[in-house]
Amino acid sequence: MSTARNIPNDRGLSLRMFVTGLMIVLLYGAVIGLLIAVGISYAVVLVIAGALLFCQYWFSDKIALYGMGGRLVTPEEAPQLHGAIDRLCAMADMKKPRVAVADTDVPNAFATGRSPNSAVVCATTGLMRRLDEPELEAVLAHELSHVAHRDVAVMTIASFLGMVAGLVTRMMLWTGMMGGFGGGGNDNNNQGGDNTAMVEMLVLVVSVVVYAISFLLTMALSRYRELAADRSGALLTGQPSVLASALVKVTGDIARIPTRDLRSTETFNAFYFTPAIAKSGVSISTIFSTHPSLDQRLAQLASLEAEMGRPS
Amino acid sequence: MGLFDTILGRTKPVPSNLDALFALPSAAITLQSAAAMTCSGHAGVCFKPPSGQGFADMQTEVVSLLGMEGAAGITSTTDSFGYQWLVVQDPDIEALVTQIHLVNSSLADAGWGPQLLCSVFGLAKLPTVAPDGDAREGASVGSGSVLGSTAYLVYLFKRGTFYPFVPTGKEQRSTEEEFKLRSLLADDLTVETDLDRWFPLWDLPVG
Repeated sequence: MSTARNIPNDRGLSLRMFVTGLMIVLLYGAVIGLLIAVGISYAVVLVIAGALLFCQYWFSDKIALYGMGGRLVTPEEAPQLHGAIDRLCAMADMKKPRVAVADTDVPNAFATGRSPNSAVVCATTGLMRRLDEPELEAVLAHELSHVAHRDVAVMTIASFLGMVAGLVTRMMLWTGMMGGFGGGGNDNNNQGGDNTAMVEMLVLVVSVVVYAISFLLTMALSRYRELAADRSGALLTGQPSVLASALVKVTGDIARIPTRDLRSTETFNAFYFTPAIAKSGVSISTIFSTHPSLDQRLAQLASLEAEMGRPS
Repeated sequence: MGLFDTILGRTKPVPSNLDALFALPSAAITLQSAAAMTCSGHAGVCFKPPSGQGFADMQTEVVSLLGMEGAAGITSTTDSFGYQWLVVQDPDIEALVTQIHLVNSSLADAGWGPQLLCSVFGLAKLPTVAPDGDAREGASVGSGSVLGSTAYLVYLFKRGTFYPFVPTGKEQRSTEEEFKLRSLLADDLTVETDLDRWFPLWDLPVG
């Protein structure tokens, strides 16, 4: 399929995203296989983690809004914000999400909610103060793309395994420190105790490895989905360079704000427009990051802009 | 959007649907007999101008095409949301629809369909004092018999549906009037059923 403007899909991006997703699925399969092989005593962990994550998923809109101090606003309270979202939704033929404003000077925006029907798009007052109207609209188009791509659901499923592995690791370390592995060293002669110790060590190692791999994969997937949202958002407004200028403005401002204020917002980074952690541009840091580097995002938008400019 | 598109995080630009526009003339007749209203002779197309010279060239071409079709009073304005409006005037509803369709189909054929937001048609009350039995003559304003619009019909390209919009003042609309219009037009036009999508268009540049 090519778009009406003959701008093809980014096959490279689709491929990387697909491979990352496939690896997450494979990891799921491997872990479940291992659980069955070892015995299902850890099924209870799965259930607990599942319940936790389901709550996070089901109440994602309320959790994120509460965490950010976001407040739902009516069209009368924020006519400009509602007007821009109305128009973008009409162009994209999607259901209008609820609109919220968070009263904080950190310039950012996020989308949350388990499905397009329960989605909320939230902008901070700091964002609205810094960006002009076309730039604000470009950011909103990026967030609406997250809603259309169902990124909350996708990232919730993708991060489930990492969360389980993290829980298991913590539980194992905790019980290991409390009682010693396999019931302590005083019954070394007991063959069964040794076996249990071996199994528990194995589970610990596996869960650490699974945690590390799934963490890296989730981060990669998140970065690709940010790039995909940039792309769809830019195609929706038809003005990639406006989104680029919004990114530059917001990123510059975020880096200048003291980190003490920002730490409180770190947990919500996954669905943010730009991450609130000011990172120095070390290359290794990008593989631990939920968002692609500014340079990468700007490069994609610049090439889209060039494709738009070609006479049809 | 399909499952595969969700997994790969991409959206397809939505093509525009233009055919439903031609139902408008018959709706105008219904309006005239049932509510003493008529098309005011103003109509506009609203789109998001993308960056690049390709679109700008296209727009110039469309305006000259409209001129050849005999359209009068073509104006182009940009609203406060950064959307561009191409407004035309013609007292004849058939000609008006043809011109609006021309703008839309030219843009869509050139591949800019996803940039189209909506088309707006002005509605006006028929003047009550009518000399010679011809209602239009009495209130002729400007070119021909173009009236000032008091209500609007908004056509959503992506849905292929219409909805009425009756602004009553600064950022206020009359839902009652809009519902009346909806029930009048339901037989002739495809009216948007999802009320969430009846978004307001304040400060319309359509006269």
